[in-house]
Amino acid sequence: MTELTKRYGGAPAVDRLSFQVRPGHVTGFLGPNGAGKSTTMRVLLGLAAPTSGTALVNGRRYADLRFPMHEVGALLDASAVYGGRTAVDHLRCLARANRIGTSRVAAVLEQVGLAGVGRKRTGGFSLGMRQRLGIAAALLGDPGVLLLDEPVNGLDPEGVRWIRELTRALAAEGRTVLISSHLMSEMELTADRLVIIGRGRLIAETTVRELAARFQRGVLVRTGRVPELARALEAAGASVLVEADGALAVGGLDAVRIGELAARDGIPVHEVTPRSASLEEAYLALTAGSLEYGAAR
Amino acid sequence: MTDAFAAEWLKLRTARSTWYCLGVVALIAGLMALPAWYSARLWDGLPPARRASMEVSSLPEQACWAAYLVMGVLGVLAITSEYSTGMIRATLTAVPRRRTALVAKAGVVAVVALAAGEATGFTVLAAARLIIGDRPIHGQETHLGRILMSGVVVMVFALVGLSVGALLRSTAGAIVVVAGLWHIVPVLVHLLPAPWSDRFGSLMPAALVEEIAGSGGQNSIYGAGLPPAAAVAVLVAYVVVPLGAAGIALERRDVP
Repeated sequence: MTELTKRYGGAPAVDRLSFQVRPGHVTGFLGPNGAGKSTTMRVLLGLAAPTSGTALVNGRRYADLRFPMHEVGALLDASAVYGGRTAVDHLRCLARANRIGTSRVAAVLEQVGLAGVGRKRTGGFSLGMRQRLGIAAALLGDPGVLLLDEPVNGLDPEGVRWIRELTRALAAEGRTVLISSHLMSEMELTADRLVIIGRGRLIAETTVRELAARFQRGVLVRTGRVPELARALEAAGASVLVEADGALAVGGLDAVRIGELAARDGIPVHEVTPRSASLEEAYLALTAGSLEYGAAR
Repeated sequence: MTDAFAAEWLKLRTARSTWYCLGVVALIAGLMALPAWYSARLWDGLPPARRASMEVSSLPEQACWAAYLVMGVLGVLAITSEYSTGMIRATLTAVPRRRTALVAKAGVVAVVALAAGEATGFTVLAAARLIIGDRPIHGQETHLGRILMSGVVVMVFALVGLSVGALLRSTAGAIVVVAGLWHIVPVLVHLLPAPWSDRFGSLMPAALVEEIAGSGGQNSIYGAGLPPAAAVAVLVAYVVVPLGAAGIALERRDVP
């Protein structure tokens, strides 16, 4: 993705966006609603033409791939199926265009847990079943790259966990997995790497761990001898705040150093916990300036 | 290309609307037995002197004329159902070469519509022969060329429907256009002042059948008509111009 820009009318939906997604990881593609996630994916899949810049898969334009489903599997909008067709027929229509055999259709239906309803019309499917059908379609060509747009929408908790395990397993096989979401809490559990955008621009390209570290908020310490420990830590240069429940919020020292100081003075410590802002908060802080449809505060 | 064609064939085969449309065409063909039976009875009841003035429009062609509209709708639905459901995104992700996808779709729609059109024409011909027997009713003379051409025009309507559907991306809008070409425009053209009603009338799809295959001694309601070669060119234009425009539009526009 290099300097990708896509305008609809005047305002850019995606604005000089550059990032790279690497194999072997689940990359979370995060941004508030209207940030340009779906637009980016649509451009990447050749469904929308970029105003400028390029979006390449394995170094090539998607439209130049002869049998693209073997290289890239995509789930865009799970509800976008013709309801009159059975699940098997729906997948066969897609598979046939890419020279994928019927046995593979049965295999992916099995994989996503829809084998029992393969002969049912998709019109009667729940949103969760359609998500699974969409993922089955993405997996048809056994592709090395998977692009999943909001795959957990409409899934029950069991389905959410299934997506999490499936995507992690696919990445562990060395595939490139990009999952878009507007929910940090979900990506926190699924993704290793994060691409965060807002108003079509890149806000951060990072890992879950880095993001957590960046928003580190000191260490929480509990002890029976609050004043003594507070004095000792302040003497060592820390900022100490006594919280309502008697715990100490310590800034400027890490957990190891705090433990050593307490031991030196013989003060028993009940708990030493490095605290970070939740990733949810970190994400909100990052995207606060770029909310397209945010509530006024 | 053959893969895209096979995929579109599977898609058309597994769409319910295809079978509904074909069912309606079969029903129309079957119902043509009624006017055939009625004509035969009428003929038998008439005194021989008045039989010479009795005329019934060619039943196979009447059936094909109805099939124009139904297969036009099939062509429309072949593409607009993909836009309305969003299936078009999956289709064009599987076949990113959009012109290939359109040509494949046009190919299968053309084959199905042509088969349906010819089957309609010749089935109704056989049924009418069977019911009318050897009664020499005017208008019921067997004219194979015109029946054949009527089937071809059924295919042309299906392709016009497909093209307009791809251009408008709206089922209702495209069906209005097809229905307009089928009946509304010919009626309006008929109301034009003298030389113009003939000039435009000769360009109407149904008029082309007579112009290409010969009128078989009948006077056309569409006026003097074009020479066969020109009529063939107009018929080809009915396919090529909208389909070309649809190809360019599909190539240039973003998929919604």
